[in-house]
Amino acid sequence: MLDCGMHMGFNDDRRFPDFSYITRNGRLTDFLDCVIISHFHLDHCGALPYFSEMVGYDGPIYMTHPTQAICPILLEDYRKIAVDKKGEANFFTSQMIKDCMKKVVAVHLHQTVQVDDELEIKAYYAGHVLGAAMFQIKVGSESVVYTGDYNMTPDRHLGAAWIDKCRPNLLITESTYATTIRDSKRCRERDFLKKVHEAVERGGKVLIPVFALGRAQELCILLETFWERMNLKAPIYFSTGLTEKANHYYKLFITWTNQKIRKTFVQRNMFEFKHIKAFDRAFADNPGPMVVFATPGMLHAGQSLQIFRKWAGNEKNMVIMPGYCVQGTVGHKILSGQRKLEMEGRQVLEVKMQVEYMSFSAHADAKGIMQLVGQAEPESVLLVHGEAKKMEFLKQKIEQEFRVSCYMPANGETVTLPTSPSIPVGISLGLLKREMAQGLLPDAKKPRLLHGTLIMKDSNFRLVSSEQALKELGLAEHQLRFTCRVHLHDPRKEQETAMRVYSHLKSVLKEHCVQHLPDGSVTVESILIQAAAHSEDPGTKVLLVSWTYQDEELGSHLTSLLKKGLPQATS
Amino acid sequence: MDPECSQLLPALCSVLADPRQPVTDDTCLEKLLDWFKTITEAGSSLLLLQENPCLLGLLCHVLKPQDLSPRVLAFSLRLAGMLAAQEDCFQYLQQGELLPRLFGEAGPSALDSVPAEPRFLLSLPLSPTPGAVDTIFSLQGDSSLFVASAAGQLLVHVLGLSLQGPAEGHPGLQTGDWPVCAQKIASHIEESLRSAATPQITQALNVLTTAFGHCHNPWTQVLWVRLSPLVASLLEKDPVPAAHSLVDLLLSVARSPVLSSSSCGLWETLAQTLSHLSPTQAGPLALGILKLQECPQALRAQAFAVLLQPLTCVLEATAQAPGLLGMLLPEGGRVQEGSPRGSWARPCLAPHGRHLTWPQNSWVVMRACTTCWFPTQDRHTLASRLGASRLCDRGRATAPAVLVLEGRVLHLSVSGPRELVTQVFAVLLEYLTSPDSSPTVLKKAFQATFRWLQSSPETPGCSDLDPHAQLFLRDLLPVLPKRLCSPCWEVRDSGLEFLTQMIGRWGGQAGFRHALLASEVPELTEQLLRDPESYVRASAVAAMGQLSSQGLPLTPASPEHPGGQQSLLAELLHILSTDSEGFPRRAVMHVFTQWLRDGHADVARDTERFVARVLQVASRDLDWEVRAQGLELALVFLEQTLGRPSSHCPYAVTPPVAAPPSPLAQAPRPLCRVQLFEFAFRALFDCDRPVAQKSCDLLLFLRAQTASYSGPQGSGSVPEVASVEAALQRWQAGEQGQPLGYLEPEVVVAVLRSMDLEGLRGALAESSDRVEKSPRSLLQDMLATVGALGEDEADCY
Repeated sequence: MLDCGMHMGFNDDRRFPDFSYITRNGRLTDFLDCVIISHFHLDHCGALPYFSEMVGYDGPIYMTHPTQAICPILLEDYRKIAVDKKGEANFFTSQMIKDCMKKVVAVHLHQTVQVDDELEIKAYYAGHVLGAAMFQIKVGSESVVYTGDYNMTPDRHLGAAWIDKCRPNLLITESTYATTIRDSKRCRERDFLKKVHEAVERGGKVLIPVFALGRAQELCILLETFWERMNLKAPIYFSTGLTEKANHYYKLFITWTNQKIRKTFVQRNMFEFKHIKAFDRAFADNPGPMVVFATPGMLHAGQSLQIFRKWAGNEKNMVIMPGYCVQGTVGHKILSGQRKLEMEGRQVLEVKMQVEYMSFSAHADAKGIMQLVGQAEPESVLLVHGEAKKMEFLKQKIEQEFRVSCYMPANGETVTLPTSPSIPVGISLGLLKREMAQGLLPDAKKPRLLHGTLIMKDSNFRLVSSEQALKELGLAEHQLRFTCRVHLHDPRKEQETAMRVYSHLKSVLKEHCVQHLPDGSVTVESILIQAAAHSEDPGTKVLLVSWTYQDEELGSHLTSLLKKGLPQATS
Repeated sequence: MDPECSQLLPALCSVLADPRQPVTDDTCLEKLLDWFKTITEAGSSLLLLQENPCLLGLLCHVLKPQDLSPRVLAFSLRLAGMLAAQEDCFQYLQQGELLPRLFGEAGPSALDSVPAEPRFLLSLPLSPTPGAVDTIFSLQGDSSLFVASAAGQLLVHVLGLSLQGPAEGHPGLQTGDWPVCAQKIASHIEESLRSAATPQITQALNVLTTAFGHCHNPWTQVLWVRLSPLVASLLEKDPVPAAHSLVDLLLSVARSPVLSSSSCGLWETLAQTLSHLSPTQAGPLALGILKLQECPQALRAQAFAVLLQPLTCVLEATAQAPGLLGMLLPEGGRVQEGSPRGSWARPCLAPHGRHLTWPQNSWVVMRACTTCWFPTQDRHTLASRLGASRLCDRGRATAPAVLVLEGRVLHLSVSGPRELVTQVFAVLLEYLTSPDSSPTVLKKAFQATFRWLQSSPETPGCSDLDPHAQLFLRDLLPVLPKRLCSPCWEVRDSGLEFLTQMIGRWGGQAGFRHALLASEVPELTEQLLRDPESYVRASAVAAMGQLSSQGLPLTPASPEHPGGQQSLLAELLHILSTDSEGFPRRAVMHVFTQWLRDGHADVARDTERFVARVLQVASRDLDWEVRAQGLELALVFLEQTLGRPSSHCPYAVTPPVAAPPSPLAQAPRPLCRVQLFEFAFRALFDCDRPVAQKSCDLLLFLRAQTASYSGPQGSGSVPEVASVEAALQRWQAGEQGQPLGYLEPEVVVAVLRSMDLEGLRGALAESSDRVEKSPRSLLQDMLATVGALGEDEADCY
């Protein structure tokens, strides 16, 4: 199973996948060899503790080391938000998250992991977020690459996704930005910095609601560098203790970040910020400008919502939403332009502060997706994680440019792909020697027909000579002959008819050995022809033709020849 | 319906009907349906339609041929179905010819949208016409598994519906007398069962499983009598097609009260199936049979034999050649020649990559052990046969194998022969000591060991462990240090969890204490307080807390550690104030609360100082669960100072009469000294709701307790009260800068009396979440989103 995510838009069972489609009564572990998690975002891993601890999957779970480290933090974060709300029954507990994480097998990049006798997986760097990976899944000679979410352009702290020319049978790729050619990331960053700068210059306070990990770190690096360059004095705060922890992980997994960060790491650690300090609740009332990163990212509870309420009434202030918000949350409401919000107890909060949306999500755009398809050279492509209309466009583009089939199944839809797996077959020495004895040297460019008996035993395939097969299997040989009767109009005696047949064949089949035997029958290789009188019609003779399996082609040819009749005798 | 919603609804309906304004977020449509469902369940659907003509307008609009999104079409059909579920509303819609047009003539076009929105299939108010049924048949083979599955369920609905009335009460009625529609479905299933294609057989089996699982009417018997020969004939094929579905069907038939009681050859079919299926396929069936309440003894025995078959093979093999198992399980897991039934035993034994499939049926066996009733002799056979598991694993054990043992442990402990009991713990010990055991196996082995110890009988008249367990402990304790030093955090953590459980259960018993203290376990546990992995630190905190609770000295008083206990308190406080992760801090709060509750010696030495320090640290914590736990601790302290609340619910408001009268006059003073009020008031305005709610409950309890407190008269006029109230108001407004400092009890009591805590509690209950979930908010959001979001949608979490 590739990824095990949740839908944040629902507060009931609908937030998790319906696993009963895998099996209703059986045990899940019997149906799945393993679960692979591509990265720590909740739409990719949010249902994992539910799946392993509540639904009962008991098999291995694979993910990269950073994902293994960060995943429980986000799950814990989300659990707390869910518990904070009412009526959140059927949700996993802290202990379940831990027990689930104990089932995880962490993998390194480019390490081939043998899941079982047949299945092997291998992770490739995907950019997107710290620890994100694409996975190649291989069984025998057939393989699938699953991209998860990826980014083909490096950003401030991560590199670009990369995969080798692995030519999988199928590439399953995300298609979030299937039709977009994103404006350069630099532009978006400049825009963001300009907005923050303007707000701070006019003495306003800037609130940036974020989730603990991921985008927050990127924005921190951005602001830190800008503050340094512009020599700005306004304080920047990060509201939870999570930066510390998050930055700890970025330090720990420095090899997963981009080259620039790794290079400068020796002189200065990019994640140790000079300008960004821990936030205390009391600071929100301090006069003067400031920038605050606060959780959670959708303004639906906790600290970010509290600060928002405090600052919303002042038009000098600004809130920048750097990510998607689900329906119902304050974040969603202000992004859709609502300015009068109903809060608890029918209180109405008037939002006068500036509301901005800044997308920093790191997905590959259409160009990036095409680039990856070009890199991996798959036999076919399957688009997921996107909108049908946009996928349709990309699908056509892929099919035109790469001449491969591209699929975009809806949820729950099955796609069947024909593949031609190559199955290794052993060949016996005896058989090879016999072939060699025929004097033809093997030529890699010319495929050659080889007769033998294929033995399938203990999931092994071997090609041996039929004699050897008989011996090995303890079987007796049976001779099989094909027979056919051909009626000829010929009033002469049988011997004479046979003679006529002999001379006719002798003249037609020059390359074959045609013989007339003393008993009156005619042979061509293994084919035997005898002439007999017709029981009812004396003017007709019956030719009895029989041949072995080996001469089947010749036998058929010969009978069709005889059926055309014999040439008129030139007495 | 709320008038404001009624006002918003027409605008929303026109948005939905407009293909140029696509609804990008389909969760909104789902939530909208949820809302209509609550309305229709609570009141009249007809009234809803009449009061909101825009809904009817939407339904009519859907009928027009246009470029409507499948989402909106599906939404409208589901809505129509929901409304038509009420008789009068059905008539109303029928009069307007809306239903026939939606689901009749427009049927094919409506069904076109199925692949996009399969769920609406289930809300179709189908008048079971043969034409519609044909469409459903074809949808059974849809490439979308949602559609296919919904179509199957729908067939069962239609079948049930068409047999309502005439056939329902007459078991004697043959299928030939059924309504056309029902006959058509029965023939379709029959045809599918005869088919050579496995997917079709699977579909038919699934439909039957659903039918027999949900309907227990007499007609199900008629259907089964007609179809059972066909089902049985599936067994004649090799391999048996759709074996999983077949097992499901047979079990569902066996569980049906209508079918299992009748003599329609069910038991014979079950027996036949058990012998025809491959061992892995037969396993779940056998388990299901053992769970049946009434079932012939012979069949039960057969099922039992199926479950134990792998073990029988192992035993036979080992009996014939004692060294055979070594050969059976070389590194590659390939069976060598010479095993009598080797080829059979192999799938049961061979390690299969990382997770051994030993035996494929072991899961089933384990389930059988733990959940089914076995006659005594069976239990003994099982126990002795399972002994083989030790032979075949040799430390390469897998989770299922340990689970088997776990099940066995539970059963043997009830009435097992001594010898076997000992054998079990030898097996467990082997898992625990083996260097090859994976973290998962170790975790399960630890759990099984704890259960084993827990269920071992205590020697009568003595509080100590059973001698066997003592023996085991002697062997076990040397294992634990190795596990606590494991490079895998999973193993260290499981080891600590096990240790905590052990101390909690046997910490008071001399034998255990002695053995534990003689080992290096306590010292290692203490070192794990500084583990790099936060989960491990948290578990170490719990274990150390438990050790200390039981009065077990951590380290012998040495010159380096004068008074080990005292230093633990300091160490835990240090963790609480400095650890960067929430788990260890939460664990510390749990330990402290427990210590306070139990009157732990170090806490009792100066309880007030302890509580004051803990609350001070907890109030600054960024993790709301730590703050909430701080309130829990405050409550325990409160109970100890003021007396327990009479109700079993700790937060219930206790009437004043229930409080003990005497200490009241003095009571608030210690609370003031530990600055509990400052902590609670701060928590009252916490941005995280659970903390605020908990604090509100605590203060309400406190106010009730101090209701009869009579401090200096007219305390309301004391200037301090006004200043505290002003400070609290600022806090409520979000400014939490200045502390309150020490408060006199009378000031606190006066402030408590003047506060509208009930009002606050009500406001907290009506959280922003309620606003988020309200239908008005939903309608507003949907209207506001039109054209506003667009590109943002693509941006995921």
